[in-house]
Amino acid sequence: MESIEDSNKEPSKQAAYVSFKGVGHKYDPLPTAPMVIDSIDLDIHRHEFVAVVGPSGCGKSTLLRMVAGLLIPSHGEVSVFDRPVTEPRDDVGIVFQKANLLPWLTVRKNVLFPLKHKYGSYSANDEKRANELLEMAGLTQFADKMPDELSGGMQQRVGIIRALLLNPDILLMDEPFSALDALTREQIGFDLLDIWREHPKTLLFITHSISEAVLLADRILVMSKRPGTVLDLIDVDLPRPRSSKTINSPRFSELADLIRGYIYEPNVPA
Amino acid sequence: MNQTFPLKSWVKQQANRFAPALFFIGLVLLWELVCQVGKVPNYILPSPSAIITAFFNVEFSRWMTHLWATLRVALMGFVLSIMIAIPLSIGMIRSELMNRVLYPALIVIQSTPVVAVAPLIIVLLGTEDPSRVLITCLITFFPLVVSTTTGMLETPPEMIELSQSLRAPRYRETWQIRIPYAIPHIFSGLRVSITLAIIGAVVAEFVAAEEGLGYFIQFSTSFFKIPQAFAGLIFLSVISLLLFKSVQWTQAWFFPWSLPKKK
Ligand SMILES: Nc1ncnc2c1ncn2[C@@H]1O[C@H](COP(=O)(O)OP(=O)(O)O)[C@@H](O)[C@H]1O
Ligand SMILES: [Mg+2]
Repeated sequence: MESIEDSNKEPSKQAAYVSFKGVGHKYDPLPTAPMVIDSIDLDIHRHEFVAVVGPSGCGKSTLLRMVAGLLIPSHGEVSVFDRPVTEPRDDVGIVFQKANLLPWLTVRKNVLFPLKHKYGSYSANDEKRANELLEMAGLTQFADKMPDELSGGMQQRVGIIRALLLNPDILLMDEPFSALDALTREQIGFDLLDIWREHPKTLLFITHSISEAVLLADRILVMSKRPGTVLDLIDVDLPRPRSSKTINSPRFSELADLIRGYIYEPNVPA
Repeated sequence: MNQTFPLKSWVKQQANRFAPALFFIGLVLLWELVCQVGKVPNYILPSPSAIITAFFNVEFSRWMTHLWATLRVALMGFVLSIMIAIPLSIGMIRSELMNRVLYPALIVIQSTPVVAVAPLIIVLLGTEDPSRVLITCLITFFPLVVSTTTGMLETPPEMIELSQSLRAPRYRETWQIRIPYAIPHIFSGLRVSITLAIIGAVVAEFVAAEEGLGYFIQFSTSFFKIPQAFAGLIFLSVISLLLFKSVQWTQAWFFPWSLPKKK
C-alpha cells in the first residue's frame, strides 16, 4: 500500500507514466516478415484507466506483454516513468482471460502464489494481506476451498486479487471478463471500478466488448486490424462514479456508436 | 424410477451392478464345463478346478519366494526408471539443445526390442539383480518420459508468463508450475509403466533366473505341469492388477485434484 501514499514523489497525474513511442513489432526477425503492430504512440497517465479495443489478432496482447516487460518491441520504445522497459517489472500485475488458478492450491494459497513463487515463502503478515484482499473480493468464506469449487466469476475475482497481492502500480488485464456470463460480467466490472477507486492503479484493460470499454475506461484506444495501429484515442467524458444508469445516458450510446463505426468500417481514417 | 414394480427395478439395478462379476463367474463356469464334458486333457487346457488345486499344492513359502523375486526386480526397475525419466524430461523441457540431442537417442532405445537385447545385458552385467533391473528399466522408462514431457508442455502459457513477470527462478517455474500441471499425465505414464515393469521382470527371468514367477511359469511348463503354470500366470496377473490399482490409489490419495472431475 505504501507506494500509493508517497505519490507526491511521482509525476503529476497528467504526466506520461506508461509511454509508447513509435512502437512496432514483428515476432519473426526476417526482414520480409509482417509487422504485428506498427507506429503506436500512446501516453498513459498515472492511475488512468485505458481500455484497448480492436479486432482479434491486431496485437492487443502484444502491447500488454510489452508493458509487463515480457516482450521487448523490435521497433520504438516502451517506457514506464521515463525509463525504458527492458525486463519484467516488479510493479506490474497481470490478469488473464481465464483465471488460471492452480488447481492443487486452495484459494488463499492461490492468492499468495506470487510471493511463494517469487521468494519461496511468505510471512504471517502476507497472509493477513491475502485475507484482506479476500475480504475485499467477498471471498472470505471460500478462502480454504479449492478453485474448482468456485463459480467462474469468483475464480476471476481470485485472479484479480492475486494480481493485486504485490500491490502493483500497473494492472494489466487481458480480456479478463470474456469468459463470464453477462450478469456476472457487469457486476465484476463495477467491482473493479470500486477497487480501482480505493487503490488507484494505472490500468490497461483489453476487451472485446465496446460497451464494457465505454462503461469502465477514462480513455479508449481503438486499434486497426493487423498490423495494429492507433485508429483513435477516445476520451470517455462520462461522469464517475459510473453505474448501470450510465448505460442509459445519450453520451454513452454516442461513444459506443463512434467506436462501432471504427470496428465495422476499419478504413475510416483516425 | 419404475414406481409400479419396485422389486423388478431393484433386481434390474442389482443385475447391472454385478454384471461384470457375473460375466466373469459365468465364463469360469463355462470353462470348467467345457473341460469336464469335453474331457480336455490338463496339458492342453487345464480346468479352473485343476488350476486351483495346483495353486494350493505349491507351498505358500515357495509362492512368496517367487513373488518376492519378481516384485523386487519390477519395483526396483520401476523406481529407477522414475528417477531417470523425470529429471530427463525436465532437462528436455528446459533445454532445446538437450531435447534435440536426447530425443532421437530415446527413440532408438525405444525401438530396440528389449527381449532381443536382454541376453546381451545378462552377458554384460551378470545373472544377478542389476541386469534384470536394467532390462525392466529399459522397458518402463519411455512411456514415463513421453507422459512427463507432454504434461509439462501442457502448462498454460499464461502461467509461464506469470512466472516470468515475477522473475522467479527457473527451478520454481519447474517445481511449482510445470511439474504439478504434469501430474495427471505423469500418473497415466506410471500406470502404463508399472504393468510394463512386471513384464520386464518376467522377460529377464525367462533369460536367466533361478527364482521368480516368470521362472516358475517357464519351469512348470517345461515339466508339463500345465495347471501349475496356469496358477503362476493367474497369480502374476493378479499382482500386476494390484500394482496398477496401487498407482491409482496413490494418485487419489496424494493428488485428488488431479483426477478427472465426476459429472
Ligand atoms: N509468440 C508469438 N509468436 C509469433 N506470433 C505471435 C506470437 N504471439 C502473437 N503472435 C501473432 O501476433 C498477432 C497479434 O497477436 P495478439 O497480440 O495476441 O493479438 P490480440 O491479443 O489482439 O488478439 C497475431 O496474429 C498472432 O498470431
Ligand atoms: Mg489477445
